[in-house]
Amino acid sequence: MWRLLHFIAIAALIGSAAYVYSVKYQTIYASEEIVKTRHLIAKERDAINLLRAEYAHLTRPDRLQALADSQLDMQPLALNQIVKAEDLPEPGPKVDSIGRKLESLGLLGESATPSAGVTGATPALR
Amino acid sequence: MIETPQPEVDDIAAHQAATPSVGFLARLRGVVRRLFSSRLDKSAGRIRFIALAMAVAYLGIGVRLVALGVSHDPPQMLKAAADQAVSGARPDLLDRNGEILATDVKTMSVFAEPRRIIDKDEAVELITAVLPDVDAKELRERLSSKKGFVWVKRQVTAKEQQEIFHLGLPGVGFLPENKRVYPNGSIGAHVIGFVDKDNVGIAGMEKYLDEQSLTDPHVPGFVVDQAALKPVRLSLDLRATHALRDELAAGMVRFKAKAAAGAIMDVTTGEVIALESLPDFDPNDPGEFIKDPTRINRVNVGVYEMGSTFKALTLAMALESGKVTLNSRIDARESLRYGHFTIHDFHATHRVLTVPEVFTHSSNIGSARMALMVGVEGHQAFLRKMGQLDRLRTEVPESAEPLVPKRWGELNTMTIAFGQGLNVAPLQAMMAVAALVNGGNLMTPTFLVRDEADALSGSRRVVSPQTSESMRYLMRANATHGSAGFANIPGYYVGGKTGTADKIINGRYSQDKVFTTFMAIAPADKPKYLYLVMYDEPQGLPEDGGYHTAAHNAGRTTGSLVERVEPLEGVPPADHFPDQPFPILARLGLGGDADRVGKE
Repeated sequence: MWRLLHFIAIAALIGSAAYVYSVKYQTIYASEEIVKTRHLIAKERDAINLLRAEYAHLTRPDRLQALADSQLDMQPLALNQIVKAEDLPEPGPKVDSIGRKLESLGLLGESATPSAGVTGATPALR
Repeated sequence: MIETPQPEVDDIAAHQAATPSVGFLARLRGVVRRLFSSRLDKSAGRIRFIALAMAVAYLGIGVRLVALGVSHDPPQMLKAAADQAVSGARPDLLDRNGEILATDVKTMSVFAEPRRIIDKDEAVELITAVLPDVDAKELRERLSSKKGFVWVKRQVTAKEQQEIFHLGLPGVGFLPENKRVYPNGSIGAHVIGFVDKDNVGIAGMEKYLDEQSLTDPHVPGFVVDQAALKPVRLSLDLRATHALRDELAAGMVRFKAKAAAGAIMDVTTGEVIALESLPDFDPNDPGEFIKDPTRINRVNVGVYEMGSTFKALTLAMALESGKVTLNSRIDARESLRYGHFTIHDFHATHRVLTVPEVFTHSSNIGSARMALMVGVEGHQAFLRKMGQLDRLRTEVPESAEPLVPKRWGELNTMTIAFGQGLNVAPLQAMMAVAALVNGGNLMTPTFLVRDEADALSGSRRVVSPQTSESMRYLMRANATHGSAGFANIPGYYVGGKTGTADKIINGRYSQDKVFTTFMAIAPADKPKYLYLVMYDEPQGLPEDGGYHTAAHNAGRTTGSLVERVEPLEGVPPADHFPDQPFPILARLGLGGDADRVGKE
């Protein structure tokens, strides 16, 4: 009986050693992957930083102003061109000109085309 | 570790030999049993053996620890030297809207370990062939030193790095370094400052970062990653700063001025939104700044006689003392004599002036008389309270001590009343004017973002709300009826004050060389921004009749600045005047509508 237990113990020992060995190697592999990924992240971050700096350099106000002056046919903003949203005139009533035309042609009645109904892709009219 | 005494083995072997009939299985059982059996009489020896083995093992560990403690590991030394030498990371500097003002980019630098280089002459020859801008003699000297680590060249290009790498020199390597870049070039350069080759802040907010230990501490083995440093947001607005620089540069050319400077301050928080001083420099290449003293920050470091803009302080003092009200009349019929000095008015009226008229006509005589009413002691106390007699310190480390007369008599009070004889930094004068118009709270200007509640809790009441409102009224009246008309941009209810100071050349006030200043507030009923524009030795334009006074140059620039910056800051032009711009004055029956201050 005791001998059997001893056998089991030895087998368990060898088995666990083998398991530990494999786990250890998996861990080493995983940590290498982590280090590699970290390097990649750092590299990407540096690249992003460089691009941010480059973007800021290319969009610096004096460069944009020089480009706008030489390339665009625009004049500086005048104060009388600034209007508050509430000062904008009310839009006129909506006119469905196509519908009116169809009506005048007598085509606005029930058509044979089945209605598509309301679908998610079509923005609802306000 | 189990001792198996020899005789025992013989014993069993003999036993097994004696019973040959016993099968293989039994023999195996015997071997296994022998493996697991132990005899108690032998245990004392075994324990002693184990104890000895343990002692040896621990001794070994101890010796190794001591050895590690006293030994110098060469690669560790190199790492420490490199950590020390490599430029540390710095946090990004952002403007108030999050635009980048300064950031770090990674570059490669070439270093060498002189001890590991075999043939120094060959190394120098090869390296200088690839990097022609490295001085061969200097490099040879550096490589001959006993140091463990020297730089060959900082911040090389990717191509240069490849070429050095292909030389295959032992003892030559690369280290990634942080290089500070300023994507906007000269815009806001005086506030942002710059760093040296080792990424250590030398001037401006860059130096402030180091003083506040917001950068990599630069201790061996304690290298901070750039991502771990929190960006620092400045109060500057990049776009407004550019607008200011652009207008000043245009004005400098137009008025042929030697120098120009300006600033915009949020009077409700004390934040400096924009600050420029021309000529300036590019922080990416600060050499020209270090060599050329004309490129100083005139707003923080220059001290000037602020001229008539200082009359605002004099009038506020007189109103605050209660000795005059807006309805008081001041005699300006004749020039004011003191000893053998005579004080004249530039635009002499030769009559009795009301207090608003003293301001709009910029009467020296009137201001001097008002200062005399308060007296020398009271004048000094008021200017000290307004922070004009002590050095102003902000986050930007550069500052200047005001030039205060050593012996301050009545004559000094009279001249200081209209801005002569006391030199202050323009930012300091702005701080005082901001306090006069924001309701009476003096707050130290800041270059970091700050909200109104913080600013108020750190502020100090210097004048009453009524005096503050009177000052706003006076500045508004000056825009409609006085010298600040050029800055009176419709829709923004601007108020302002000009100042033209004769420059002192060889100890005498010069007549043709002037220093002009202009301060404007917008809107005058509830000011948000205070504008300052200064020109050094502007020339009069023929279309202005050759006048070089502040209204024609600094005033004009301020006008276009208001027109340009207010929409940038999200303030639309108002389509009508405020209904009740000065309620306290209206209740007291004083002043009334600033736009109707008569010239009589």
